[in-house]
Amino acid sequence: MNSISIANTGSVSNEQITRDLLPSKFGKRGWIWISVLVLLCLIGAFAYYRQLAYGLVVTNMRDYVSWGIYISNFVFFVAISLVGSLITAVFRLTNAKWATPLTRIAEIIAVSAIVFASLIIIVDMGRPERMLYLFTYGRIQSPIIWDVIVIGTYFVISLLLLYLPLLPDFKILINSKGPAILKKLYRFQGSFWKGTIEQIKISEKAINILCIAIIPVAFSIHTVTSWLFATTYRPGWDSTNFGAYFISGAFLVGSGGVVIAMYVFRKYYHLEKYLTEMHFEKMGRVVVLLSLLYLYFNINEYMVPAFKMKKPEQAHLEALFTGEFAIIFWFAIVVGMIIPIIILLFKKGRRPLPMFIAGIMIVAGAWFKRYIIVTPTLLHPFLPMSDVPVSYHHYFPSWEEWAIAIGSLSGALLVITFFARIYPIIPIQETITERHENNEEQ
Amino acid sequence: MKIMKNNKHILLLMSILILLCFQQSVAQKNETTKEVLQLKYYNDSNTIQYVAIESLLKKGKKTEPQPGKVYELYLDSIGKSHFIAKVVTDGAGKAKSFFPPALSSEWKAAAKHTLIATEPGKEDAVTELEVTKSKLSIDTTSAEGTRRITVLVEKYENDEWLPAPEVELKVGIQRLGGVLNAGEEETYTTDSTGMVTVDLNKDSLPGDENGNIVLVAIADNNDQYGNLLVTKTVPWGKAIRPDDHFFNQRTLWATKFHTPLWLLFMAYSIIIGVWGTIVYLILQIVRIKKLGTATDLQLTNKS
Repeated sequence: MNSISIANTGSVSNEQITRDLLPSKFGKRGWIWISVLVLLCLIGAFAYYRQLAYGLVVTNMRDYVSWGIYISNFVFFVAISLVGSLITAVFRLTNAKWATPLTRIAEIIAVSAIVFASLIIIVDMGRPERMLYLFTYGRIQSPIIWDVIVIGTYFVISLLLLYLPLLPDFKILINSKGPAILKKLYRFQGSFWKGTIEQIKISEKAINILCIAIIPVAFSIHTVTSWLFATTYRPGWDSTNFGAYFISGAFLVGSGGVVIAMYVFRKYYHLEKYLTEMHFEKMGRVVVLLSLLYLYFNINEYMVPAFKMKKPEQAHLEALFTGEFAIIFWFAIVVGMIIPIIILLFKKGRRPLPMFIAGIMIVAGAWFKRYIIVTPTLLHPFLPMSDVPVSYHHYFPSWEEWAIAIGSLSGALLVITFFARIYPIIPIQETITERHENNEEQ
Repeated sequence: MKIMKNNKHILLLMSILILLCFQQSVAQKNETTKEVLQLKYYNDSNTIQYVAIESLLKKGKKTEPQPGKVYELYLDSIGKSHFIAKVVTDGAGKAKSFFPPALSSEWKAAAKHTLIATEPGKEDAVTELEVTKSKLSIDTTSAEGTRRITVLVEKYENDEWLPAPEVELKVGIQRLGGVLNAGEEETYTTDSTGMVTVDLNKDSLPGDENGNIVLVAIADNNDQYGNLLVTKTVPWGKAIRPDDHFFNQRTLWATKFHTPLWLLFMAYSIIIGVWGTIVYLILQIVRIKKLGTATDLQLTNKS
């Protein structure tokens, strides 16, 4: 029997690794989780049906706040999708082998997030049948068209980066026990993988090219998303820093998402041997670095305009610091950045459970951060609002908007959940190979 | 003594001030408010007729518009068969209504008509305006370098159209901001033939792309005929081509057909570069698939 040793856990055979990492059926908790997500998706679908039937009037978006919770949700999805490029591409190119078990988690988060980012934009359009006009009447001068192009490109690259490393695992999946329908799917997707030297060579080369290609595309996707705001002359958006500010925030929320997924998969599928405390420790260091970086950009974004306090900026900043958005603003800063930094600066804070809690804080804080990037600016135009209904001066999403936003988040989680049921969430073949290499080195 | 004199002056001044204040407060108390309803008849180009009202509230010397007031308009007498419309005044206290087709025969039947406005529930407070049916026409001649505008006003009397003398008219050229006088005078009055003749004393007026300008004749708030207006387009202007040079430039704010070349080059270079890589990678997957199929065939042949 071919056996290899794993740090802290002694020797584990290839068969054992395969058994541990093969996708398994949902248990009782799994089905409850899926039922809740499906229910939330159905409520979201019903709310969307109402929006289609009655129009965007069912939302609370009006003349001033025309980008509400949908767009903040879109920015959130685009942000979290960037983690695919960080964990898979950046870590792979820098030869950070410890991140191998995290690559597939990061990639599926990226793919599901980018799918729902595209969907939520269609929801925001109000008239989905007009989506085609984006292509027929779109102007290449508009950052919105750049966003459409770059999202499509990033989706395809992420899908390829998810698929290519899966090829070696298909051979194992086809030979494993499992439902016939899944076997059929595996055979369709990867029965041609024989693991020949030539195939491995081509595959590795292709993955390397993908890893190089995805980095500029990932940077573009979020830079362009930031330009949707920064190219508009408005208080709070008129910044040359926005691209870097958005990318640093995106890496942070994506890493927070990976940490949550790591903890949940580790706990649910008993992957303690593969997602070890070392992985949490290293991810903790990455997350704390990203949190500090994002905090730095936040200080830049708010302190510089606050120092000058130009009249239009003043109303916007006061609404954030002490006004109607103060609770959300300080929640995003304190809970989304400062507390996680404090937790993760300490070694004890970089253990699985504190990391999981910090991850939740980061992701929740990041969602609200996108909300306060989008909405308060729209409520503070340069020309004073006059002769408009009182409701136009404020914005709070309607139940339909909440339901659709929560439904889309549930949808993304559902995609990740089903992916983990169908495919190994930690690459099997890659784990075996790497551990062989480690043993040989030792 | 001097002090006493000074005090006298101060006392006198104070008494005048007190009297003035008293008078002002009495005047304010006596200030009456009065509703004023102005009724006007309009006839544009002898085809579009409508009634306009303006509801005002007079408070002393001040006049304020009355928004949201409801009025019923009638032709000749109050009754269902004479009903023109029910109107509500806007923020400026104004409202208007066109004549309904049902009143067409009634309008044609007489030479003079009375327009009536009443407020629902206050039928005794009626505002009336008497109007004589009239029409305005405009004609032009151009001879020996002189361009002449002739405006004719006719009134309907004894079942025929007769010239309407002594009607004050404004004759001019329609410009963006108002009417530019065609001749020397601000207004002209029709003679016994119901006509005014004005020599256009303005050359090379900017017209549209074909050099057209719009001549206009207006009878403004005439006691007998109301407000009349007629226009005529004549090719007497200078053809002006709008300068759309700016819109034909390749700029970031132009249409998609005028995208800057540098942007097109950059965007398509990136798209071709990235999608070229994607296509290459897909071809690599196809290659892997072919290799796998070939290996399968070799294994089958061996066995």
